[in-house]
Amino acid sequence: MDVIVCVKHVPDAETRLRAASSGKWIDPDGVKFTVNNTYDEAAAEEALRLKEKCGAKSVRVITVGPARAEEALRYVLSMGADEATHIETPPDAQLDPLTISRLLAGVIKTLPHDIVMVGKQAADDEAGVVGSALGALLGLPSYAFVTELNPDATTKTLKMRRYVEGGEEHFNGPFPAVVSLLKGAADPRTPTLPNILKARKKPLTKVPLADAQAKAQALPGAPVAGTVRSFVLPPPKTGAKMVEFQTPEEAAEKLVKLLREEAKVL
Amino acid sequence: MVGLLGSGLSAAAEAVRAYGPDRVLVADDPRLKAFSAQGYSAVAAKMLSSLPEPRAVLAPATAMGRELLPRLAIEVGGTVAPDATDVVPREGGGLVVTRPVFGGRATLVVELPTIPCVSLRPNAFAAEKSPGASTKTEPFPVGDLPATATSVVVEKTVVTRGDTPELTEAPIIVSGGRGMKGPENFALVEKLARVLGAGVGASRAVVDAGWRPASEQVGQTGKTVSPNLYVACGISGAIQHLVGMSSSRCIVAINKDPAAPIFKVANYGVVGDALTILPALTATIARSKGLPNP
Ligand SMILES: Cc1cc2nc3c(=O)[nH]c(=O)nc-3n(C[C@H](O)[C@H](O)[C@H](O)COP(=O)(O)OP(=O)(O)OC[C@H]3O[C@@H](n4cnc5c(N)ncnc54)[C@H](O)[C@@H]3O)c2cc1C
Repeated sequence: MDVIVCVKHVPDAETRLRAASSGKWIDPDGVKFTVNNTYDEAAAEEALRLKEKCGAKSVRVITVGPARAEEALRYVLSMGADEATHIETPPDAQLDPLTISRLLAGVIKTLPHDIVMVGKQAADDEAGVVGSALGALLGLPSYAFVTELNPDATTKTLKMRRYVEGGEEHFNGPFPAVVSLLKGAADPRTPTLPNILKARKKPLTKVPLADAQAKAQALPGAPVAGTVRSFVLPPPKTGAKMVEFQTPEEAAEKLVKLLREEAKVL
Repeated sequence: MVGLLGSGLSAAAEAVRAYGPDRVLVADDPRLKAFSAQGYSAVAAKMLSSLPEPRAVLAPATAMGRELLPRLAIEVGGTVAPDATDVVPREGGGLVVTRPVFGGRATLVVELPTIPCVSLRPNAFAAEKSPGASTKTEPFPVGDLPATATSVVVEKTVVTRGDTPELTEAPIIVSGGRGMKGPENFALVEKLARVLGAGVGASRAVVDAGWRPASEQVGQTGKTVSPNLYVACGISGAIQHLVGMSSSRCIVAINKDPAAPIFKVANYGVVGDALTILPALTATIARSKGLPNP
Protein backbone atom coordinates (compact mmCIF):
# COMPACT_ATOMS: atom_id res chain seq x y z
CA MET A 1 0.00 0.00 0.00
CA ASP A 2 1.25 3.49 -0.85
CA VAL A 3 0.31 6.48 1.22
CA ILE A 4 0.69 10.10 0.16
CA VAL A 5 0.28 13.02 2.56
CA CYS A 6 -0.14 16.63 1.39
CA VAL A 7 1.06 19.44 3.65
CA LYS A 8 1.35 23.21 3.45
CA HIS A 9 4.06 25.49 4.81
CA VAL A 10 2.18 28.17 6.74
CA PRO A 11 2.91 31.05 9.11
CA ASP A 12 3.32 30.01 12.73
CA ALA A 13 0.07 30.47 14.71
CA GLU A 14 1.57 33.18 16.89
CA THR A 15 3.05 35.20 14.05
CA ARG A 16 2.11 38.83 13.96
CA LEU A 17 0.36 39.46 10.64
CA ARG A 18 1.10 42.45 8.43
CA ALA A 19 -0.51 43.06 5.05
CA ALA A 20 1.76 43.01 2.00
CA SER A 21 2.02 46.21 -0.04
CA SER A 22 -0.08 44.50 -2.76
CA GLY A 23 -2.92 44.48 -0.21
CA LYS A 24 -3.72 40.91 -1.25
CA TRP A 25 -2.00 38.72 1.33
CA ILE A 26 0.38 38.86 4.27
CA ASP A 27 3.87 40.29 3.98
CA PRO A 28 6.05 37.18 4.37
CA ASP A 29 9.06 39.23 5.47
CA GLY A 30 10.21 38.19 8.94
CA VAL A 31 7.40 35.66 9.29
CA LYS A 32 8.25 32.28 10.78
CA PHE A 33 6.83 29.54 8.53
CA THR A 34 6.22 26.01 9.78
CA VAL A 35 4.35 22.82 8.99
CA ASN A 36 3.09 23.10 12.53
CA ASN A 37 -0.38 23.35 11.19
CA THR A 38 -2.56 21.40 13.59
CA TYR A 39 -4.37 19.53 10.84
CA ASP A 40 -1.47 18.82 8.49
CA GLU A 41 0.73 17.49 11.27
CA ALA A 42 -2.13 15.22 12.34
CA ALA A 43 -2.46 13.98 8.75
CA ALA A 44 1.27 13.25 8.58
CA GLU A 45 1.12 11.38 11.88
CA GLU A 46 -1.84 9.32 10.69
CA ALA A 47 -0.07 8.52 7.40
CA LEU A 48 2.91 7.20 9.36
CA ARG A 49 0.66 5.16 11.63
CA LEU A 50 -1.02 3.64 8.55
CA LYS A 51 2.40 2.51 7.44
CA GLU A 52 3.16 1.02 10.85
CA LYS A 53 -0.28 -0.61 11.23
CA CYS A 54 -0.58 -2.20 7.82
CA GLY A 55 2.94 -2.27 6.47
CA ALA A 56 2.44 0.33 3.77
CA LYS A 57 5.30 0.36 1.27
CA SER A 58 6.04 4.01 1.48
CA VAL A 59 4.80 7.33 2.79
CA ARG A 60 5.42 10.23 0.46
CA VAL A 61 4.91 13.84 1.48
CA ILE A 62 3.99 16.46 -1.14
CA THR A 63 3.71 20.22 -1.04
CA VAL A 64 3.03 23.08 -3.43
CA GLY A 65 4.95 26.17 -2.42
CA PRO A 66 7.95 28.43 -2.84
CA ALA A 67 11.56 27.34 -2.19
CA ARG A 68 11.24 27.77 1.58
CA ALA A 69 8.44 25.14 1.66
CA GLU A 70 11.16 22.49 1.39
CA GLU A 71 11.42 22.92 5.18
CA ALA A 72 7.92 21.52 5.56
CA LEU A 73 8.89 18.46 3.54
CA ARG A 74 12.08 17.92 5.55
CA TYR A 75 10.05 18.19 8.73
CA VAL A 76 7.65 15.43 7.69
CA LEU A 77 10.59 13.34 6.43
CA SER A 78 12.11 13.72 9.90
CA MET A 79 8.82 12.54 11.41
CA GLY A 80 9.38 9.35 9.39
CA ALA A 81 8.10 9.78 5.82
CA ASP A 82 10.20 8.04 3.15
CA GLU A 83 10.17 10.37 0.16
CA ALA A 84 9.12 13.90 -0.74
CA THR A 85 7.90 15.80 -3.78
CA HIS A 86 8.09 19.59 -4.05
CA ILE A 87 6.03 21.38 -6.67
CA GLU A 88 7.91 24.66 -6.64
CA THR A 89 6.11 27.96 -7.21
CA PRO A 90 7.52 31.49 -7.51
CA PRO A 91 7.98 33.19 -4.11
CA ASP A 92 5.10 35.62 -4.59
CA ALA A 93 2.59 33.26 -6.23
CA GLN A 94 -0.86 33.50 -4.71
CA LEU A 95 -2.71 30.36 -5.70
CA ASP A 96 -6.39 29.59 -5.39
CA PRO A 97 -7.09 26.35 -3.49
CA LEU A 98 -8.52 24.79 -6.66
CA THR A 99 -5.33 25.63 -8.56
CA ILE A 100 -3.27 24.03 -5.78
CA SER A 101 -5.53 20.97 -5.95
CA ARG A 102 -5.00 20.67 -9.73
CA LEU A 103 -1.22 20.88 -9.39
CA LEU A 104 -1.23 18.25 -6.65
CA ALA A 105 -3.61 15.95 -8.54
CA GLY A 106 -1.59 16.18 -11.76
CA VAL A 107 1.52 14.97 -9.95
CA ILE A 108 -0.20 12.44 -7.65
CA LYS A 109 -1.75 10.82 -10.69
CA THR A 110 1.75 9.81 -11.85
CA LEU A 111 2.68 8.31 -8.45
CA PRO A 112 1.41 5.12 -6.80
CA HIS A 113 -1.30 6.00 -4.25
CA ASP A 114 -3.80 3.93 -2.27
CA ILE A 115 -4.59 6.51 0.37
CA VAL A 116 -4.03 10.24 -0.01
CA MET A 117 -4.15 12.04 3.34
CA VAL A 118 -4.70 15.76 3.85
CA GLY A 119 -5.40 17.93 6.88
CA LYS A 120 -8.88 19.40 7.28
CA GLN A 121 -7.67 22.83 6.21
CA ALA A 122 -4.51 24.90 6.01
CA ALA A 123 -3.87 27.23 8.92
CA ASP A 124 -3.48 30.28 6.65
CA ASP A 125 -6.31 30.49 4.10
CA GLU A 126 -8.40 27.87 5.94
CA ALA A 127 -10.06 26.81 2.71
CA GLY A 128 -10.41 23.07 3.37
CA VAL A 129 -10.84 22.54 -0.37
CA VAL A 130 -7.95 20.27 -1.33
CA GLY A 131 -9.29 16.98 0.10
CA SER A 132 -12.55 16.63 -1.77
CA ALA A 133 -11.19 18.50 -4.81
CA LEU A 134 -8.41 15.90 -5.08
CA GLY A 135 -11.05 13.18 -4.86
CA ALA A 136 -12.93 14.63 -7.83
CA LEU A 137 -9.77 15.30 -9.85
CA LEU A 138 -8.29 11.84 -9.28
CA GLY A 139 -11.65 10.10 -9.75
CA LEU A 140 -11.52 8.73 -6.20
CA PRO A 141 -13.98 8.76 -3.34
CA SER A 142 -13.15 11.30 -0.62
CA TYR A 143 -14.00 11.40 3.06
CA ALA A 144 -13.70 14.52 5.21
CA PHE A 145 -13.82 15.50 8.90
CA VAL A 146 -12.39 12.05 9.64
CA THR A 147 -11.18 11.41 13.19
CA GLU A 148 -10.17 7.76 12.93
CA LEU A 149 -9.37 5.36 10.08
CA ASN A 150 -8.41 1.69 9.81
CA PRO A 151 -7.92 0.08 6.42
CA ASP A 152 -8.89 -3.52 5.67
CA ALA A 153 -6.54 -4.44 2.84
CA THR A 154 -8.40 -7.59 1.77
CA THR A 155 -11.79 -5.91 1.24
CA LYS A 156 -10.21 -2.56 0.27
CA THR A 157 -12.43 -0.88 2.85
CA LEU A 158 -11.64 1.93 5.25
CA LYS A 159 -13.37 1.74 8.61
CA MET A 160 -13.68 5.34 9.72
CA ARG A 161 -15.23 7.80 12.13
CA ARG A 162 -16.16 11.33 11.14
CA TYR A 163 -17.47 14.47 12.78
CA VAL A 164 -21.02 15.43 11.86
CA GLU A 165 -23.01 18.30 13.34
CA GLY A 166 -24.20 17.09 16.73
CA GLY A 167 -22.17 13.90 16.92
CA GLU A 168 -20.00 11.35 15.25
CA GLU A 169 -20.59 8.75 12.54
CA HIS A 170 -18.92 5.36 12.38
CA PHE A 171 -18.81 4.50 8.69
CA ASN A 172 -17.09 2.42 6.03
CA GLY A 173 -16.09 3.32 2.52
CA PRO A 174 -13.93 1.89 -0.25
CA PHE A 175 -10.33 2.87 -1.03
CA PRO A 176 -8.17 3.96 -2.93
CA ALA A 177 -9.47 7.24 -1.56
CA VAL A 178 -8.62 10.71 -0.31
CA VAL A 179 -9.04 11.23 3.43
CA SER A 180 -9.22 14.67 4.99
CA LEU A 181 -8.41 14.44 8.66
CA LEU A 182 -10.03 16.59 11.35
CA LYS A 183 -8.05 15.13 14.19
CA GLY A 184 -5.74 12.15 14.51
CA ALA A 185 -5.94 9.29 16.96
CA ALA A 186 -2.57 10.29 18.46
CA ASP A 187 -0.54 13.46 19.03
CA PRO A 188 1.90 14.09 16.16
CA ARG A 189 5.36 12.74 17.01
CA THR A 190 8.29 15.10 17.53
CA PRO A 191 11.25 14.34 15.27
CA THR A 192 14.30 13.04 17.13
CA LEU A 193 17.80 14.33 16.34
CA PRO A 194 18.93 11.13 14.56
CA ASN A 195 15.77 11.26 12.44
CA ILE A 196 16.35 14.91 11.59
CA LEU A 197 19.83 13.97 10.36
CA LYS A 198 18.49 10.99 8.41
CA ALA A 199 15.81 13.16 6.80
CA ARG A 200 18.48 15.29 5.13
CA LYS A 201 19.47 12.33 3.01
CA LYS A 202 16.01 11.10 2.06
CA PRO A 203 14.98 11.53 -1.60
CA LEU A 204 13.26 14.83 -2.39
CA THR A 205 12.05 15.35 -5.96
CA LYS A 206 11.55 18.85 -7.30
CA VAL A 207 8.80 19.29 -9.88
CA PRO A 208 8.98 22.59 -11.78
CA LEU A 209 5.68 24.46 -11.86
CA ALA A 210 5.40 24.17 -15.66
CA ASP A 211 5.67 20.36 -15.46
CA ALA A 212 2.96 20.16 -12.82
CA GLN A 213 0.76 22.50 -14.89
CA ALA A 214 1.25 20.29 -17.95
CA LYS A 215 0.30 17.20 -15.95
CA ALA A 216 -2.81 18.98 -14.63
CA GLN A 217 -4.14 19.72 -18.11
CA ALA A 218 -5.75 16.33 -18.63
CA LEU A 219 -7.71 16.52 -15.36
CA PRO A 220 -11.50 16.94 -15.23
CA GLY A 221 -13.10 20.32 -14.47
CA ALA A 222 -12.07 23.68 -15.82
CA PRO A 223 -8.84 25.46 -14.89
CA VAL A 224 -10.83 28.41 -13.54
CA ALA A 225 -10.05 29.88 -10.15
CA GLY A 226 -10.90 32.66 -7.78
CA THR A 227 -8.65 35.70 -7.56
CA VAL A 228 -8.01 37.71 -4.42
CA ARG A 229 -9.32 41.24 -4.50
CA SER A 230 -8.10 42.24 -1.04
CA PHE A 231 -6.72 41.03 2.27
CA VAL A 232 -7.93 43.02 5.22
CA LEU A 233 -6.57 43.11 8.74
CA PRO A 234 -9.02 44.56 11.23
CA PRO A 235 -7.91 47.74 12.95
CA PRO A 236 -6.35 46.72 16.27
CA LYS A 237 -9.10 46.43 18.87
CA THR A 238 -8.95 49.37 21.19
CA GLY A 239 -9.65 47.11 24.14
CA ALA A 240 -12.86 46.29 25.89
CA LYS A 241 -15.31 48.80 27.27
CA MET A 242 -15.08 48.05 30.99
CA VAL A 243 -18.19 47.81 33.13
CA GLU A 244 -17.75 49.68 36.44
CA PHE A 245 -19.77 48.34 39.35
CA GLN A 246 -20.12 47.96 43.12
CA THR A 247 -22.20 44.79 43.28
CA PRO A 248 -22.57 41.78 40.94
CA GLU A 249 -26.20 42.84 40.38
CA GLU A 250 -25.08 46.26 39.17
CA ALA A 251 -22.52 44.65 36.84
CA ALA A 252 -25.25 42.40 35.41
CA GLU A 253 -27.72 45.28 34.91
CA LYS A 254 -25.15 47.46 33.15
CA LEU A 255 -23.84 44.65 30.96
CA VAL A 256 -27.31 43.55 29.83
CA LYS A 257 -28.18 47.15 28.98
CA LEU A 258 -25.02 47.49 26.85
CA LEU A 259 -25.62 44.18 25.08
CA ARG A 260 -29.21 45.06 24.38
CA GLU A 261 -28.98 48.74 23.46
CA GLU A 262 -25.45 49.27 22.17
CA ALA A 263 -24.28 45.91 20.76
CA LYS A 264 -27.85 44.79 19.95
CA VAL A 265 -27.02 41.13 20.42
CA LEU A 266 -29.68 40.20 22.98
CA MET B 1 -34.20 27.03 -6.33
CA VAL B 2 -33.58 24.86 -3.31
CA GLY B 3 -32.12 21.41 -3.83
CA LEU B 4 -32.65 18.93 -1.01
CA LEU B 5 -30.67 15.70 -0.97
CA GLY B 6 -30.99 12.75 1.39
CA SER B 7 -33.43 10.14 2.52
CA GLY B 8 -36.77 10.74 4.28
CA LEU B 9 -36.98 14.44 3.43
CA SER B 10 -40.69 15.30 3.65
CA ALA B 11 -40.33 17.31 6.88
CA ALA B 12 -37.26 19.13 5.58
CA ALA B 13 -39.02 19.93 2.30
CA GLU B 14 -41.96 21.41 4.23
CA ALA B 15 -39.55 23.48 6.32
CA VAL B 16 -37.76 25.09 3.32
CA ARG B 17 -41.03 25.75 1.52
CA ALA B 18 -41.91 28.22 4.29
CA TYR B 19 -39.07 30.49 3.16
CA GLY B 20 -40.72 30.97 -0.22
CA PRO B 21 -38.13 29.77 -2.78
CA ASP B 22 -39.27 29.63 -6.42
CA ARG B 23 -38.70 25.90 -6.67
CA VAL B 24 -37.81 23.05 -4.31
CA LEU B 25 -36.22 19.99 -5.94
CA VAL B 26 -36.20 16.98 -3.64
CA ALA B 27 -33.79 14.12 -4.31
CA ASP B 28 -35.18 11.70 -1.74
CA ASP B 29 -33.58 8.29 -2.13
CA PRO B 30 -32.58 5.59 0.36
CA ARG B 31 -29.20 5.38 -1.42
CA LEU B 32 -28.52 8.93 -0.20
CA LYS B 33 -29.06 8.00 3.46
CA ALA B 34 -25.30 7.90 4.07
CA PHE B 35 -23.62 11.13 3.01
CA SER B 36 -20.74 10.86 0.57
CA ALA B 37 -19.18 13.76 -1.30
CA GLN B 38 -18.99 11.62 -4.45
CA GLY B 39 -22.70 10.66 -4.33
CA TYR B 40 -24.11 14.02 -3.30
CA SER B 41 -21.98 16.00 -5.77
CA ALA B 42 -23.10 13.72 -8.61
CA VAL B 43 -26.78 14.42 -7.79
CA ALA B 44 -26.22 18.13 -7.18
CA ALA B 45 -24.40 18.42 -10.53
CA LYS B 46 -27.36 16.73 -12.23
CA MET B 47 -29.74 19.21 -10.56
CA LEU B 48 -27.63 22.11 -11.81
CA SER B 49 -27.56 20.82 -15.35
CA SER B 50 -31.37 20.63 -15.29
CA LEU B 51 -31.50 24.42 -14.83
CA PRO B 52 -31.27 26.79 -17.81
CA GLU B 53 -28.68 29.17 -16.38
CA PRO B 54 -27.35 28.38 -12.91
CA ARG B 55 -25.64 31.46 -11.45
CA ALA B 56 -24.31 30.28 -8.08
CA VAL B 57 -24.50 27.40 -5.64
CA LEU B 58 -24.84 28.13 -1.93
CA ALA B 59 -24.69 25.63 0.93
CA PRO B 60 -24.28 25.91 4.69
CA ALA B 61 -20.67 25.81 5.92
CA THR B 62 -21.34 22.66 7.89
CA ALA B 63 -19.15 19.57 7.67
CA MET B 64 -21.22 18.24 4.75
CA GLY B 65 -21.53 21.56 2.95
CA ARG B 66 -17.82 22.22 3.13
CA GLU B 67 -16.99 18.73 1.92
CA LEU B 68 -19.50 18.77 -0.92
CA LEU B 69 -18.78 22.08 -2.66
CA PRO B 70 -15.16 21.65 -3.85
CA ARG B 71 -16.18 18.38 -5.48
CA LEU B 72 -19.24 19.94 -7.06
CA ALA B 73 -17.17 22.90 -8.30
CA ILE B 74 -14.91 20.53 -10.20
CA GLU B 75 -17.81 18.52 -11.60
CA VAL B 76 -19.48 21.64 -12.99
CA GLY B 77 -16.26 23.46 -13.97
CA GLY B 78 -16.91 26.15 -11.37
CA THR B 79 -15.03 27.89 -8.55
CA VAL B 80 -15.24 27.55 -4.79
CA ALA B 81 -14.91 29.49 -1.53
CA PRO B 82 -15.84 28.23 1.92
CA ASP B 83 -17.25 29.84 5.03
CA ALA B 84 -18.40 33.16 3.56
CA THR B 85 -19.58 35.95 5.82
CA ASP B 86 -20.68 38.12 2.90
CA VAL B 87 -21.51 37.56 -0.78
CA VAL B 88 -22.33 40.10 -3.49
CA PRO B 89 -22.77 39.68 -7.25
CA ARG B 90 -19.63 40.15 -9.33
CA GLU B 91 -19.61 42.25 -12.47
CA GLY B 92 -19.49 39.89 -15.45
CA GLY B 93 -20.96 36.97 -13.49
CA GLY B 94 -20.06 35.04 -10.39
CA LEU B 95 -19.75 36.33 -6.84
CA VAL B 96 -17.45 38.41 -4.68
CA VAL B 97 -17.04 36.59 -1.41
CA THR B 98 -15.73 37.79 1.94
CA ARG B 99 -14.43 35.17 4.32
CA PRO B 100 -12.35 35.00 7.48
CA VAL B 101 -8.81 33.58 7.28
CA PHE B 102 -6.07 33.02 9.88
CA GLY B 103 -8.60 32.03 12.53
CA GLY B 104 -10.61 35.19 12.06
CA ARG B 105 -7.54 37.41 12.47
CA ALA B 106 -7.99 38.73 8.92
CA THR B 107 -10.48 38.62 6.07
CA LEU B 108 -10.02 37.82 2.43
CA VAL B 109 -12.18 39.20 -0.37
CA VAL B 110 -12.18 36.82 -3.36
CA GLU B 111 -13.66 37.17 -6.83
CA LEU B 112 -15.17 33.93 -8.06
CA PRO B 113 -16.06 33.55 -11.75
CA THR B 114 -19.02 31.38 -12.80
CA ILE B 115 -20.22 29.01 -11.38
CA PRO B 116 -19.26 30.00 -7.84
CA CYS B 117 -19.90 27.32 -5.19
CA VAL B 118 -19.92 29.03 -1.81
CA SER B 119 -20.61 27.75 1.69
CA LEU B 120 -22.04 30.29 4.12
CA ARG B 121 -20.94 30.60 7.72
CA PRO B 122 -23.80 29.79 10.13
CA ASN B 123 -25.30 32.93 11.75
CA ALA B 124 -23.70 35.25 9.20
CA PHE B 125 -26.92 35.53 7.17
CA ALA B 126 -30.46 36.00 8.45
CA ALA B 127 -33.15 33.62 7.15
CA GLU B 128 -36.58 35.16 6.75
CA LYS B 129 -39.76 33.18 6.37
CA SER B 130 -42.16 34.21 3.68
CA PRO B 131 -45.69 33.86 5.02
CA GLY B 132 -48.19 32.39 2.57
CA ALA B 133 -45.48 30.88 0.34
CA SER B 134 -47.12 28.60 -2.19
CA THR B 135 -44.05 26.85 -3.61
CA LYS B 136 -44.62 23.23 -4.56
CA THR B 137 -41.96 20.63 -4.02
CA GLU B 138 -40.85 18.60 -7.06
CA PRO B 139 -39.33 15.14 -6.78
CA PHE B 140 -35.95 14.90 -8.49
CA PRO B 141 -34.98 11.47 -9.87
CA VAL B 142 -31.55 10.48 -8.59
CA GLY B 143 -30.70 7.97 -11.33
CA ASP B 144 -27.36 6.18 -11.36
CA LEU B 145 -24.89 6.83 -8.58
CA PRO B 146 -21.16 6.08 -8.59
CA ALA B 147 -20.36 2.72 -6.95
CA THR B 148 -17.96 4.51 -4.58
CA ALA B 149 -21.01 6.39 -3.25
CA THR B 150 -23.41 3.50 -2.79
CA SER B 151 -20.77 1.47 -0.96
CA VAL B 152 -20.41 4.05 1.82
CA VAL B 153 -22.22 2.60 4.81
CA VAL B 154 -22.88 4.32 8.13
CA GLU B 155 -22.78 1.74 10.90
CA LYS B 156 -23.86 3.99 13.71
CA THR B 157 -24.26 7.60 14.71
CA VAL B 158 -23.21 8.67 18.17
CA VAL B 159 -25.04 11.79 19.27
CA THR B 160 -22.85 13.89 21.54
CA ARG B 161 -25.11 16.88 21.68
CA GLY B 162 -27.67 17.03 24.49
CA ASP B 163 -30.42 19.63 24.32
CA THR B 164 -27.96 22.46 23.69
CA PRO B 165 -27.40 23.75 20.15
CA GLU B 166 -24.42 22.55 18.08
CA LEU B 167 -21.55 24.81 19.10
CA THR B 168 -20.53 25.90 15.62
CA GLU B 169 -24.10 26.96 14.84
CA ALA B 170 -25.11 28.41 18.20
CA PRO B 171 -25.96 32.12 17.91
CA ILE B 172 -24.74 32.66 21.49
CA ILE B 173 -22.02 30.76 23.38
CA VAL B 174 -21.20 30.90 27.08
CA SER B 175 -17.74 29.50 27.62
CA GLY B 176 -15.90 28.64 30.83
CA GLY B 177 -12.21 28.25 31.65
CA ARG B 178 -10.02 27.33 34.57
CA GLY B 179 -11.21 30.45 36.38
CA MET B 180 -14.49 28.60 37.06
CA LYS B 181 -12.43 26.79 39.73
CA GLY B 182 -14.03 23.35 39.43
CA PRO B 183 -16.37 21.20 37.31
CA GLU B 184 -19.26 21.73 39.74
CA ASN B 185 -19.27 25.49 39.02
CA PHE B 186 -20.05 24.89 35.36
CA ALA B 187 -23.67 24.67 36.51
CA LEU B 188 -23.44 28.49 36.59
CA VAL B 189 -22.28 28.54 32.95
CA GLU B 190 -25.03 26.11 31.95
CA LYS B 191 -27.73 28.15 33.70
CA LEU B 192 -26.71 31.35 31.92
CA ALA B 193 -26.61 29.40 28.66
CA ARG B 194 -30.11 28.09 29.32
CA VAL B 195 -31.70 31.53 29.77
CA LEU B 196 -29.85 32.81 26.69
CA GLY B 197 -30.65 29.77 24.53
CA ALA B 198 -26.89 29.45 24.15
CA GLY B 199 -24.38 26.65 23.62
CA VAL B 200 -21.74 25.86 26.25
CA GLY B 201 -18.06 26.15 25.31
CA ALA B 202 -14.84 25.50 27.20
CA SER B 203 -11.12 26.21 27.12
CA ARG B 204 -8.69 23.40 26.54
CA ALA B 205 -7.45 23.69 30.13
CA VAL B 206 -10.80 22.53 31.50
CA VAL B 207 -11.24 19.86 28.82
CA ASP B 208 -7.78 18.48 29.60
CA ALA B 209 -8.65 18.56 33.31
CA GLY B 210 -11.69 16.40 32.53
CA TRP B 211 -14.18 19.04 33.75
CA ARG B 212 -15.88 19.29 30.35
CA PRO B 213 -16.26 17.06 27.25
CA ALA B 214 -13.91 17.58 24.28
CA SER B 215 -16.91 18.43 22.07
CA GLU B 216 -17.13 21.77 23.92
CA GLN B 217 -13.54 22.85 23.32
CA VAL B 218 -13.11 26.11 21.44
CA GLY B 219 -9.79 27.00 19.84
CA GLN B 220 -6.98 25.85 17.62
CA THR B 221 -7.39 22.18 18.54
CA GLY B 222 -11.12 22.47 19.18
CA LYS B 223 -13.91 24.20 17.31
CA THR B 224 -13.92 27.49 15.47
CA VAL B 225 -17.01 29.46 16.34
CA SER B 226 -18.37 32.87 15.39
CA PRO B 227 -21.58 33.45 17.30
CA ASN B 228 -23.24 36.82 17.66
CA LEU B 229 -22.31 36.81 21.33
CA TYR B 230 -19.45 34.95 23.05
CA VAL B 231 -19.25 35.19 26.84
CA ALA B 232 -15.83 34.09 28.14
CA CYS B 233 -15.90 33.30 31.85
CA GLY B 234 -12.59 32.73 33.67
CA ILE B 235 -10.71 32.28 30.38
CA SER B 236 -7.32 33.97 30.14
CA GLY B 237 -7.37 34.42 26.35
CA ALA B 238 -4.37 32.38 25.14
CA ILE B 239 -3.76 32.77 21.39
CA GLN B 240 -4.80 29.14 20.81
CA HIS B 241 -8.19 29.94 22.35
CA LEU B 242 -8.55 33.27 20.54
CA VAL B 243 -8.11 31.79 17.06
CA GLY B 244 -11.25 29.75 17.70
CA MET B 245 -13.54 32.61 18.73
CA SER B 246 -12.12 36.02 17.84
CA SER B 247 -14.41 36.42 14.83
CA SER B 248 -17.46 36.40 17.12
CA ARG B 249 -19.56 39.51 16.56
CA CYS B 250 -19.56 40.59 20.21
CA ILE B 251 -17.27 39.25 22.94
CA VAL B 252 -17.84 39.67 26.68
CA ALA B 253 -15.04 38.76 29.08
CA ILE B 254 -15.54 38.12 32.78
CA ASN B 255 -12.18 37.71 34.48
CA LYS B 256 -10.66 38.48 37.88
CA ASP B 257 -7.42 39.73 36.36
CA PRO B 258 -7.66 43.15 34.66
CA ALA B 259 -4.47 42.32 32.70
CA ALA B 260 -5.88 39.08 31.19
CA PRO B 261 -5.27 39.07 27.40
CA ILE B 262 -8.92 38.18 26.75
CA PHE B 263 -9.78 41.85 27.45
CA LYS B 264 -7.75 42.86 24.38
CA VAL B 265 -10.18 41.11 22.04
CA ALA B 266 -13.35 41.65 24.09
CA ASN B 267 -15.91 44.32 23.33
CA TYR B 268 -17.12 44.44 26.93
CA GLY B 269 -15.18 43.53 30.04
CA VAL B 270 -16.17 42.80 33.61
CA VAL B 271 -13.27 42.56 36.06
CA GLY B 272 -14.59 40.38 38.84
CA ASP B 273 -15.34 36.94 40.20
CA ALA B 274 -17.20 34.87 37.60
CA LEU B 275 -18.72 32.79 40.39
CA THR B 276 -20.70 35.79 41.66
CA ILE B 277 -21.20 37.69 38.37
CA LEU B 278 -22.71 34.73 36.48
CA PRO B 279 -25.67 34.10 38.86
CA ALA B 280 -26.48 37.83 38.83
CA LEU B 281 -26.34 37.90 35.04
CA THR B 282 -28.55 34.81 34.78
CA ALA B 283 -31.12 36.34 37.17
CA THR B 284 -31.17 39.67 35.27
CA ILE B 285 -31.64 38.03 31.89
CA ALA B 286 -34.23 35.55 33.15
CA ARG B 287 -36.21 38.44 34.68
CA SER B 288 -36.05 40.52 31.48
CA LYS B 289 -37.25 37.57 29.41
CA GLY B 290 -39.95 36.60 31.87
CA LEU B 291 -38.32 33.21 32.46
CA PRO B 292 -37.98 31.46 35.83
CA ASN B 293 -34.49 31.91 37.34
CA PRO B 294 -32.94 28.43 36.92
C1 LIG C 1 -0.69 23.31 20.42
C2 LIG C 1 -1.65 23.91 21.41
C3 LIG C 1 -3.01 23.89 21.11
C4 LIG C 1 -3.92 24.45 22.01
N1 LIG C 1 -5.24 24.45 21.68
C5 LIG C 1 -6.11 25.07 22.50
C6 LIG C 1 -7.50 25.15 22.17
O1 LIG C 1 -7.96 24.62 21.15
N2 LIG C 1 -8.32 25.80 23.00
C7 LIG C 1 -7.89 26.38 24.17
O2 LIG C 1 -8.72 26.98 24.88
N3 LIG C 1 -6.60 26.30 24.52
C8 LIG C 1 -5.70 25.64 23.72
N4 LIG C 1 -4.41 25.55 24.12
C9 LIG C 1 -4.06 25.94 25.51
C10 LIG C 1 -3.88 27.42 25.75
O3 LIG C 1 -2.54 27.76 25.48
C11 LIG C 1 -4.20 27.78 27.22
O4 LIG C 1 -3.39 27.01 28.06
C12 LIG C 1 -5.66 27.56 27.62
O5 LIG C 1 -6.52 28.16 26.69
C13 LIG C 1 -5.88 28.16 28.99
O6 LIG C 1 -7.17 27.90 29.43
P1 LIG C 1 -7.88 28.86 30.50
O7 LIG C 1 -7.97 30.22 29.96
O8 LIG C 1 -9.15 28.20 30.91
O9 LIG C 1 -6.92 28.75 31.77
P2 LIG C 1 -5.87 29.77 32.38
O10 LIG C 1 -4.93 30.26 31.37
O11 LIG C 1 -5.37 29.14 33.60
O12 LIG C 1 -6.75 31.04 32.76
C14 LIG C 1 -7.68 31.09 33.79
C15 LIG C 1 -8.19 32.51 33.86
O13 LIG C 1 -9.23 32.60 34.82
C16 LIG C 1 -9.11 33.79 35.56
N5 LIG C 1 -9.77 33.56 36.84
C17 LIG C 1 -9.34 32.83 37.91
N6 LIG C 1 -10.27 32.81 38.87
C18 LIG C 1 -11.31 33.55 38.41
C19 LIG C 1 -12.59 33.88 38.95
N7 LIG C 1 -12.98 33.47 40.17
N8 LIG C 1 -13.41 34.63 38.22
C20 LIG C 1 -13.02 35.08 36.98
N9 LIG C 1 -11.84 34.79 36.44
C21 LIG C 1 -10.99 34.01 37.13
C22 LIG C 1 -7.62 34.03 35.64
O14 LIG C 1 -7.36 35.41 35.85
C23 LIG C 1 -7.13 33.53 34.28
O15 LIG C 1 -7.13 34.60 33.36
C24 LIG C 1 -3.47 25.01 23.25
C25 LIG C 1 -2.11 25.01 23.54
C26 LIG C 1 -1.20 24.48 22.64
C27 LIG C 1 0.26 24.52 22.99
